[in-house]
Amino acid sequence: MSFSWNRNALTLSVKEVKRRLEYVTRSGSGVIIKMSKEQISADLEAGSKDAAERGHVPELTTDELDCVLDIMVEPTKIVGIERGKEIVLSRDGGVLKYTGCTRYAGAPISKEQGVIVGERIIGLDTMELGHADYSFKPCKPIAFDEAHHMENAQMLSVIPLFYGAMPNLGTYYQSLGGRWPTPTELLKEGKIKESREVQERAAEDLIRDIVYIAKIMDQSGADGLNMDTTAAAGDAEFYASLKAIEQVKKETNLAVEVGMAGEMILGMHCELEYQGKRLAGLWPHEQGNLIEKAGASIFGPVVNTRTTKSFPWNLGRALAFIKAVSKAVQIPIHVNMGMGVCGIPMTEIPPVDAVTRAAKAMITIADIDGI
Amino acid sequence: MSLQLDILDQLSNSVIEGNSEAVRRAATEALKTNLDPLEAIENGLAKGLKEVGGRFERGEMFLMQLIMSGEAMKAGLQVLKPEILKQKKQLTGSGTVLIGTVEGDIHDIGKSVVSAMLTAEGFDVIDLGVDVPDQVFVEKTKEIKPHILGLSALMTTTRTKQKDVIEALKRSELRDVAKVMVGGATVTPEWAEEIGADAYGEDAVDAARKAKNLIKG
Repeated sequence: MSFSWNRNALTLSVKEVKRRLEYVTRSGSGVIIKMSKEQISADLEAGSKDAAERGHVPELTTDELDCVLDIMVEPTKIVGIERGKEIVLSRDGGVLKYTGCTRYAGAPISKEQGVIVGERIIGLDTMELGHADYSFKPCKPIAFDEAHHMENAQMLSVIPLFYGAMPNLGTYYQSLGGRWPTPTELLKEGKIKESREVQERAAEDLIRDIVYIAKIMDQSGADGLNMDTTAAAGDAEFYASLKAIEQVKKETNLAVEVGMAGEMILGMHCELEYQGKRLAGLWPHEQGNLIEKAGASIFGPVVNTRTTKSFPWNLGRALAFIKAVSKAVQIPIHVNMGMGVCGIPMTEIPPVDAVTRAAKAMITIADIDGI
Repeated sequence: MSLQLDILDQLSNSVIEGNSEAVRRAATEALKTNLDPLEAIENGLAKGLKEVGGRFERGEMFLMQLIMSGEAMKAGLQVLKPEILKQKKQLTGSGTVLIGTVEGDIHDIGKSVVSAMLTAEGFDVIDLGVDVPDQVFVEKTKEIKPHILGLSALMTTTRTKQKDVIEALKRSELRDVAKVMVGGATVTPEWAEEIGADAYGEDAVDAARKAKNLIKG
């Protein structure tokens, strides 16, 4: 009896095993799923293609896709980057992430203590203070109280400390207690012209309030102003934010950071332009271009996560968009990475396996300056 | 024949342009030339709307234009629907949608985009606004008997109210009156399934698609 050993059969079998190996990843909604390497690769490419089609940006190259694939299939739960490639880490939402009780830590600490926690315990590179009702309009009546906290916090810390709030044009409409009729209600009545007019009037109010708060914070020693979820209410809000940036840069010493609300500017008005460019429908690289022209210091782009697609699909898409931002914009780019943005799944506590992979991919491929 | 084809093109293009007056004129002309009103709707108005929906999804058209196209569609339906009813024909795809943002949540824009899209697709949309208490959803469902109840919630803290509304409908024995669709930035397909919703709308275009499927059954 003789035994014959088929080396080819063994080699094929090992290949087949590797091919069928599944890797733990996530859905866009954060559910743990398993995908093969081929499936992850296909989704990365499909996401990149989707970004290219919608935003008219280049797809990720084959080398870039392979690099991201390697990151995705790393066996460890948490992945990291090489020494020397560290980037700036900052946080929006002020100290709400520590003190907020509805869905955050609920720690009973003051704003000043929150800054120290951020600087010395968490190790953030920049921080911000903000009102619990985190929009510019409600900050106005208490701006001097906020300034008091800023002065104290500046004396207790060394990291750059911003004052942050959301432009939130919606707060200027009657549905949210503002003075202007709500544009969407006017639209339902077919009052297109009137809807546009109230958005323009509300935008003027918003510009005035942002500049008012910026000046007070500048006097209190703030290092910068962070405009968070910019353009949430569409092109009129984006217009107001751009005009406000111009004035803040002219009238204060503040750096201005602009974090976006979404990947595309909603056309609520449709006819507003800035420096000859219509604002409705702009994608991240186009948004960043205008924000830089307005005089902002840092741009925080956003790409929205699709919960019905996989994390690899969403990451491939986000990378293609952000890579285009890096090419289009000269000011530092601090990508908004968190719940449901820039590839991260839509979960209340973003999963660390997805967050570290997305962060590493963004640093490696999209050449970002911060998160 | 070619005149009727021209009229169909006029209907479709006028909807795309959001020109209600032009749609009204073309719809009147359609009836004068004995063009089947159902065909005028399906191959004229609806064809234009489909194009609008595609352009909106691609970011080539925006909310304002979507609403204008929806108004133009409504103008055409006002002329053509009476003729359909006279002929005792059935208009497919339309239905009543009751929609609102749940209690504690004041976000309006996403819901308004969905409302506009549904209106543009021929649905009768009754928008209850924002911060709508559970009981109002229940009472209005009992009163209006919509085909679809749409619940919008932007925040993780308020999306639990979508579950509360569904439970309230069950307690009032109204759960089977309407199909429930949920949506919002923090809403996921898994959440929709967990709370017993009938559909999840990922965005305005998806919501309109799912609404049509829910009506077809």
